[in-house]
Amino acid sequence: MAGLLDYSAGTTILHRLHPLAKVFLALGICVAAFLCKNLIVLVCLLAFAISLGLIGGIYRKTAKLVLGLLGIAVFLFILQVLFIRSGTPVLLFITDNGLMTASFVVLRLMTATIPLALLLVLTQLNDLSNSLVKILHLPYRYAFTITTALRFIPVFTDEMSLIMESQTARGVNFDTKNPVRKIRLMIPLCVPLLVTSVGRIEQAAMAAEIRGFYLRTRSSGSKDYAFRPLDATVVAVVAALILVAVLL
Amino acid sequence: MSALLEFDGVCFSYGRKSDEAGFVCDLNFSIDKGEYVAIIGGNGAGKTTTSKLINGLLKPSEGRVTVDGLTTTDHAVSKLAKKVGMLFQDPDRQICKNTVREELAFGLEIRGLAADEIKSRVDEVVSDFGFAPGASPFTLSRGERQMLALASVVICDPEILVLDEPTTGLDYRECMHIMERTRVLNEKGTTVIMICHDMEVVLDFAERIIVMAQGRIIADGDSAGIFRDEDVMRKASVLPPMMIDLSLRLSERADLKDRFGGFSSVDELLEILAKSTSARARS
Repeated sequence: MAGLLDYSAGTTILHRLHPLAKVFLALGICVAAFLCKNLIVLVCLLAFAISLGLIGGIYRKTAKLVLGLLGIAVFLFILQVLFIRSGTPVLLFITDNGLMTASFVVLRLMTATIPLALLLVLTQLNDLSNSLVKILHLPYRYAFTITTALRFIPVFTDEMSLIMESQTARGVNFDTKNPVRKIRLMIPLCVPLLVTSVGRIEQAAMAAEIRGFYLRTRSSGSKDYAFRPLDATVVAVVAALILVAVLL
Repeated sequence: MSALLEFDGVCFSYGRKSDEAGFVCDLNFSIDKGEYVAIIGGNGAGKTTTSKLINGLLKPSEGRVTVDGLTTTDHAVSKLAKKVGMLFQDPDRQICKNTVREELAFGLEIRGLAADEIKSRVDEVVSDFGFAPGASPFTLSRGERQMLALASVVICDPEILVLDEPTTGLDYRECMHIMERTRVLNEKGTTVIMICHDMEVVLDFAERIIVMAQGRIIADGDSAGIFRDEDVMRKASVLPPMMIDLSLRLSERADLKDRFGGFSSVDELLEILAKSTSARARS
C-alpha cells in the first residue's frame, strides 16, 4: 500500500513545475507562515497550502494529511490554552492571550507542514536530488543522503510493522492501555529494527558504490531541468506571499 | 479424531481487488492434531495470508477460523499465541534480546510463568539445541539465528507450529537441521503447518499438501499424489520434486511406464533398479 508521503504520479501544473520551484514554493509558504502576525492572513496561507494538494489532484492524500495534522493541532491547542495564563480571562482559566497564541501555533504548524509534505508527494525524489545537484551545486553525496533518508521512511515503517507482527505472534500484547507497559513492550523492538535497518543501509551503500557512486559528477544524469516562465511566476507569487505576510 | 484447526468458508482481503496478492477466498479445510501439512503455491497465491489467519494476526472478513475450539475473531492474538507458534522467514524480526538465554525466556515471561519454571525450561532447550546461553544472538550465523527463533517458539510448547518459509536463505545442512527438528516435534504430537517453496523439502517432510493459486485452494491431499497431478502443478506454478518429475517423464514412455511410473524418492528408484537387475540376472 502506498504511504502518505510516497510520490503520486500525475500531469497537473504542480507536477510539471521545476523541482526547485516546488522547493521554493514549499519553503516560501513555511517562511511566510512563521513571519505572519495576522491570524486572517495565516488562515489564508493555510487555505492556499491545502489548495495546492487539490490542484495537484491528490485529494485523498491531502485529506488524510490535514486530518492527521488536525489531531496533533487539537492536542497542541489544548496544551497551549492550559498552560498560557497571561492576558484577560475569557472562560474559567482560559485567557484571550492563550487562545491567540494557541491559534497561531497550530495554524503555523499546519501551514508549514502541509506544503513540505506535498512537495514530497508531487516531486520524484530523483528529480529533487538531480536538480539540487545540477542547479544548486549541492554535492551529490548530500543530495543522495537526503533522498535516501526520505526513501527509507516507508521501508522502515513497513519493517517496524513486520517486527511488531512477529512479536505479536509470540504473544506480546501491544493493545494494552497502560502507556508505561506499552513503552516497555516497544523498547525491545528497537533492537531488531536497528539490526535490520543497519543491514539494509549497509546493503544500499554497497550497491550504490558498486554502481559507481563516486564516479558521479554534477553533469551526470540524462535529464535537464529547464526553468520556464511558469516556474518564474511561481517564484514571484511566493515572494509576494512572503511580502504580504510581513507587511500585513 | 477432532480437528485442531478449522477453516470454514474463510475469505480475507487487504482491501485489494480479487486478482491481487494477499486476497484469499473460500478457504475450507481442517487439520487434525499431529498432522504435518505443507501449503504450497506460487508467489501471491495467498499462503502467507492463510498462515496469518491461523494465529489471528489477520481476522477473516468472511467465514470462521477455529483453533482448538477458539474462534480467532473472538480472541486476541496473545491468547491464540499460547496454542499457535509461528516461525517467520526472517529470524532478525523476531530476536529482540541481548543473549540467547534472555531470548528463550522472553516468550515464557510474557506468559507469566514462574522464574523457576522459566529457568528449567530454558536450561532444557539450551542443552537440547546445543546453544551457548550467554552468546549474543546477533553474533550467530543466519542458520543458528533461525534455529534460535525456532527454539524460542518451541519452548512455549505450542499445539500448532506454523513455519512461514523457514528455510529461505539457509544452506542444505542448516535447512535439514531445522526441518529435522520440526519432524521430531511432529512425532511428539505438535501439529506442523509449513509454507515452503522448496518442493524437495515438502516431499521429504509433509504428509499432506494444500495447494493454493490466486487466493483459493485448488488441491488438498497426500504429498506424492498431489505432486503427480500435472494439472494442479501447472495451475499453482510449481515444479514437482526432481524424483517425481523423473518418474513422470519415464512413465510417459510406454515401455517404462509399468516399472518406473510410481517412485518418488531415490531409495524407491534404487529398489526398482535392484529388482530389475536381479530379474534380468535370473532370466
